[in-house]
Formats: sequence, C-alpha cells, structure tokens
Amino acid sequence: MRILLLMIAFLAPDASDPWTWNLPKGFPKPRVPADNPMTVAKVELGRYLFYDTRMSVNGKSSCATCHKQELAFTDGRAVSVGATGESHPRGAMSLVNVAYSGALTWSNPRLKDLEEQALTPMFGEHPLELGLREGDGFVPMLRADAKYRILFEQAFPADTDRFTIQNVTKAIACFERSIISARSPYDRYHYDRDDTAVSDSAKRGEILFFSQHLSCFRCHGGFNFSDATVSENSARREIEFHNTGLTYAAPNVGIYEFTKSAADIGKFKVPTLRNIAITAPYMHDGSIANLEGVLDHYSSGGHDHPNKNPLIGGFKLSTQDRADLITFLESLTDEAVLHDPRFSNPWQPAVSAR
Amino acid sequence: MLLRIVMLAGIACAQTQLAAILNVTGDVSSPLHLKAEDMAKMPRETVSVKEEDGTSVQYEGVMLREILTRAGAPLGKSLRGKALTTYVLAKAHDDYAVLFALAEVDAAFGNESILVADKRDGKPLFGYQGPFRLVCPNDKAGARSVRMLETIEIVRLRK
Repeated sequence: MRILLLMIAFLAPDASDPWTWNLPKGFPKPRVPADNPMTVAKVELGRYLFYDTRMSVNGKSSCATCHKQELAFTDGRAVSVGATGESHPRGAMSLVNVAYSGALTWSNPRLKDLEEQALTPMFGEHPLELGLREGDGFVPMLRADAKYRILFEQAFPADTDRFTIQNVTKAIACFERSIISARSPYDRYHYDRDDTAVSDSAKRGEILFFSQHLSCFRCHGGFNFSDATVSENSARREIEFHNTGLTYAAPNVGIYEFTKSAADIGKFKVPTLRNIAITAPYMHDGSIANLEGVLDHYSSGGHDHPNKNPLIGGFKLSTQDRADLITFLESLTDEAVLHDPRFSNPWQPAVSAR
Repeated sequence: MLLRIVMLAGIACAQTQLAAILNVTGDVSSPLHLKAEDMAKMPRETVSVKEEDGTSVQYEGVMLREILTRAGAPLGKSLRGKALTTYVLAKAHDDYAVLFALAEVDAAFGNESILVADKRDGKPLFGYQGPFRLVCPNDKAGARSVRMLETIEIVRLRK
C-alpha cells in the first residue's frame, strides 16, 4: 500500500514541477507574468478547462469550440459563433504561439495578458461567447467534480480557496502558453538546415516573401512571422497595428474602438503566419476565403484609405510566383502541433459533450 | 542597441542556390571576386544582433573595412582630399542597393563596424539571407543590412 501511494505521488504532476519549454533553436523564451509562472500542473488543469463544455451557459461550448486543435486552434469560420448562436464580428485567432503575442485579440492594444483575455469569452455579453455569469453554477461544478478537486489541488496547493475564477484563468493561460509550434517543414529547412524539408518552390517563395518588392516580411517577419511578437528578452514596447486596405465597417474599426483616434481606424494586429494554410478564411472578418484571395488583395494594393500602411501598394506576380508563395506559406504548417496529445482533449466522451 | 534586421533580398530568382561570389569592383586598384574560402582566410569577426522580438543572432564574417582595404579603396592615410568623395554601393541579387560613404567605415572617421557576413549562428548563410549579407549593427533601421549581397561597388566622385 505504501509503495502504491509513493508511486501515485511520483507520477502525479505537482505544482512545484518546473515547466520545460523545449524550445528549438531560434525560439526565445516566452514572456510569462510574474504572478502566474508556468507549472506542469497548471498547464494540465488548463487543458481540462479549455476542453470542458460545462464552462458555458448551456453546456454546448468550450474554448475549444472556436479554437480547434486540428485547425491550429481556429474554427474554420469567417466569424465565430457563441454558445447561444450569437455571431462574433471577427474570426477566432489561432492560439498557436500565442505566448509570444504582444497584444491579444485582433485589435485591443491594451489587452496583453491571457489571464485577463480569458474573461472576455467567459463572461462577455456583447457578443455572448461562453455566457458564464457571476454566481452561476460553474464554480460550484468545479468544486464538486472529483477530477477538478485533484487538478486544482495540484495546480494551486497553497491556496485556501482554490476554486476561483482567477485560478481558472491562470490555468487556461498556462495551457495556452504551452501551445508552441516550431517544427514545420520550414523550421527544419531554416533552423535545422535540412535542404530536403521543403521544395524548391517553397524556397523560391521564401525569397519572394522576404523581397523588398513584396515586403511581406516587413509585417510578417521574425521567428513567429508577426511584428506583434514579444518574448522574455524583448524590450517592453507597444506593438504596431496596421490598416491593410480592407473594408472597416463598424464594429470592425480596429484599434480605433479603444483609442478613438481617427488615425487608428482600420488598424488590426498582424497575425502569425504559422499554420496559415489551415486557418482559412482570412483577415479579421474572415472576408477572404483562401490564400489565393489574400495574394489577390495584397497584389492589388487593397482599397484606398488614409490610414493604409504605405507598404500596401500592390505588386505584380507571375503564375509561378503565386504558386511559389503559397507553397512557402504551406511549409509553415506544423503537423505536430495539430495532433500533439499534450494539446488535445483530455476528457473521455462520457464526461464532456464534445 | 536594438536592430531590426529588415531588408532586402532577391526577387523572382529562378534558382535558390546563387553563385557564391562577392564582387568588389569600381574605382579600386585590386578588384576582388571573393568566394567563401577566400573570406575564411581573412580576419574573422562576429557581431551580435538583438531583434525586437527578443531573439539574438550572431553573424560572422569579415569587416567591410578589411575587404575595401584589400581591394585598394583609399582608406587610412589615403582617405583625404578628393578621396573623401568616395562612396560604396552595396547591391543585392534583385538590384536593391544602398550606399555608404567610404569614410563611414574608416577608423579615423565613422569607424563603423559594418560586417560582410557569411555565417549566422555558425552556419553558412543560405536562402533569402545568403550567401553574403551586410550587418550594420549601429543602424537603427535594418534597410542597409543588405541580404543576398552580390556586389560592392566603389565610386570616386572626384578624382
């Protein structure tokens, strides 16, 4: 009996277990809030919460409803739909490498911590996403659930009352930060120097992508293919948002929604291009169906707008160029992150509705 | 100092493996056609670059000053009078080009440690970066850190 107990104690994750990032070369350590250090136990609790449909007003939705692993944690829709069927004005962003995001959501320059962001889908009413309300049955459910009693104890052993919304958001944030994509064919080519990892077409596409002529890299540069990228060692800075010549009907007015400065109308965050080939449709409002359409948009230069980034001026592409660029973008798909059991639904079907 | 490496590269090139020769031409007494093995025999230097996203990379290569000296550009005691009208045009595979005054790299003037790099984190530059590139560690913007560098042309405006 004593041996069995020792074994259980040995196998169970503990809050004191240090988190190992296992980052490949070229990837810096993500920035983590001082009051929510990564632990194995919090990541695991966060995974259970992320996939739990009891975290919605009617038991129909979880975080994973709009952030599906097989779609690089997007939902394949132009705009997302909440638990009660209400449409969100914007599309679900990928959570892959969200730990490196200098601002969260498409257009909120003030929202920088995942712990804070999680409150919006949980409790937001306009639009209603998960539809939780203060004083509803969610926290009592956590307290009563045998699995959660173990997971919360392991994740927050020092807390007298572990079952708090704050701890829920801390755990979900830890899980989200753990979702790192760094093993795409492009990474094997670029960082591991494996010339066979991508095709010649992808290599030509890479050169086009990083050319002055197209200047894709000016916004989608760096290891995460987004200029909104920060990490543990980057200087504190305000990230830039860009108007790319799309259409900006209310409520999709960009960071103007928060700054109320006319110069900010239509300025949205630059999303990562990692796994971009499987996260259609594109743009903040899902208005472009496929990558060919995105190339059409940027090669045409988009609509005129006083705030449009001067880099969006249009360019000419041959048929070969287009194919090469798309092959390059496809090489950024990391199949491992789409199927990694560490990021998958931990619930048995009997426990969770989906 | 933060330096965002932004810049240039060749476009629409039919092949991804370029001829690995760096031409140093123009108004110099000894034009050079440098291969990786020639660069390997010259004095090697490394420059660390930190990017805005927090990553750091180490570029290795030969100082532009060293290469220009070997080509016979008027540096040191020769950099006086009309020689001070000399500039250096760095051209990339896609014809992108940027300019430096020769005095920028001279020890008695700008003394800028501009590097002609052929390695990044110990590995030869390839793809959209290589085989040669410039690294200008004191430029705040990256636009003069030309990638896919093919030609360094020295032009003397007044002779």
